[in-house]
Amino acid sequence: MRNLLKYIFRFIFFVVIQTMVLNQLEVGFGIHPMIYPLFIVLLPFDFKVIPTMFLAFSMGICIDIMSNTYGLHTSSLLLVAYLRPLIYKALSPRDGYDPIKEGSMYDMGHLWFLYAFGSLIMVHHFWFFAIEMFKFNEIGYILRKTFVSIPVSYLFCVLYQMIFIKKEKIK
Amino acid sequence: MRNLIAFLKRFQVFLVFAGLQVIALSLYFTFFTFPRSQYFTTASSAAGTVLSWRNDLTKHLSLSRTNKKLQESNKDLLEKIPRNFVQIQKHLYTINDTLYKQKYEYMAGAVISSTVDKTNNYFTIDIGSRQGVKPGMGVVSDNGVVGVIHNCSAHFSVIKTVLTDDINIDVTIKPIDLNGLLKWDHKDAIYGNLTGISNDQKIKKWSKVYTRGSSGIYPAGVLIGRVTTLKPVEGEAFWDVKILFSENYRALQTVYVVRNLMLEEQKELEKQIPAPVVK
Repeated sequence: MRNLLKYIFRFIFFVVIQTMVLNQLEVGFGIHPMIYPLFIVLLPFDFKVIPTMFLAFSMGICIDIMSNTYGLHTSSLLLVAYLRPLIYKALSPRDGYDPIKEGSMYDMGHLWFLYAFGSLIMVHHFWFFAIEMFKFNEIGYILRKTFVSIPVSYLFCVLYQMIFIKKEKIK
Repeated sequence: MRNLIAFLKRFQVFLVFAGLQVIALSLYFTFFTFPRSQYFTTASSAAGTVLSWRNDLTKHLSLSRTNKKLQESNKDLLEKIPRNFVQIQKHLYTINDTLYKQKYEYMAGAVISSTVDKTNNYFTIDIGSRQGVKPGMGVVSDNGVVGVIHNCSAHFSVIKTVLTDDINIDVTIKPIDLNGLLKWDHKDAIYGNLTGISNDQKIKKWSKVYTRGSSGIYPAGVLIGRVTTLKPVEGEAFWDVKILFSENYRALQTVYVVRNLMLEEQKELEKQIPAPVVK
């Protein structure tokens, strides 16, 4: 029950932060930070793929409605939800995942988080900017946008965990 | 049959993924060209209300800039009211002027949500169909052109701005009167592009670009920007013209929706043009 409340709060929090703050941050250089893939990564390890995808779909639609992108965020987040079990399988520790833990950098270690979240966010950002542009001759610009935005998004996600998840650990 | 069920079971994850992905992408590509309903955009009342709360929080940050702009336009208006004019010829004017008839009306609205960094940028404003806004109307601001109304609900509207794909506003470069179309190259919110400018004439740097007004969405002669660079397009008789927008879209607070009172008449007349015969 407490877990469910935690995930509901997280869902709303990510949607609000993404649409009200991060989408309006206009830093220039093509930087567009997106932190909501972290929600999918932080879901419990034994959460099935199909419910994850439906959750990703509903979250993406919420973000799309608030930012006039009509399905762009949904499509990229679905990809993350689909690839999540594959990446987790490839990075799985020797004796499997502990179902009590979640995929944060405190539970699984910084290196695991860097590999798992880094690869997912790379796919997410590349897909997002590629579909947004949808022109093959702009591939250089798409790649520039992707690789400029990834460090910023990653930094925001680390910051989120430092603020919210560490506190839970102390309690 | 059993084989089919086994197949579906085996690939159910991928099938669900593909199904949802098709929904998302088809939503994206159809809405971009033609919005079927307001519910998936910020024109929907729930999203619009949340965004207007946000605007209530943040609009104070740009109060001084908005105020300065308002004062400037107030000054312009003050200079136009009758008590500031001297009558030169007595008894020679009539009140009911039949030479001029009003063609364009303006409705003021506040921008409650805007982006300029994305590939396609939409602004949300706080007036909607109750105030008389309809999709397809033009939107201008104090210093330039903003875009076209894309979609509207009772109290909110979404503007497809000049910072999107295929905005295609008809423009003219003064003083040489060359006509073309306004585009955007997705990169910088301060530069726009013009296409369809034939390269038989030289264009001076910093010549002004105005709306042409042929589509009836905007009045003719609204300033859009100034020409900065000219590049020849390879193999075609056109210039690739880059312009500097006169409006600063990053700091836009108030806009005006343009209503053309004679648009019906113009449309009716243009409908009579015979369709081209396909050979």
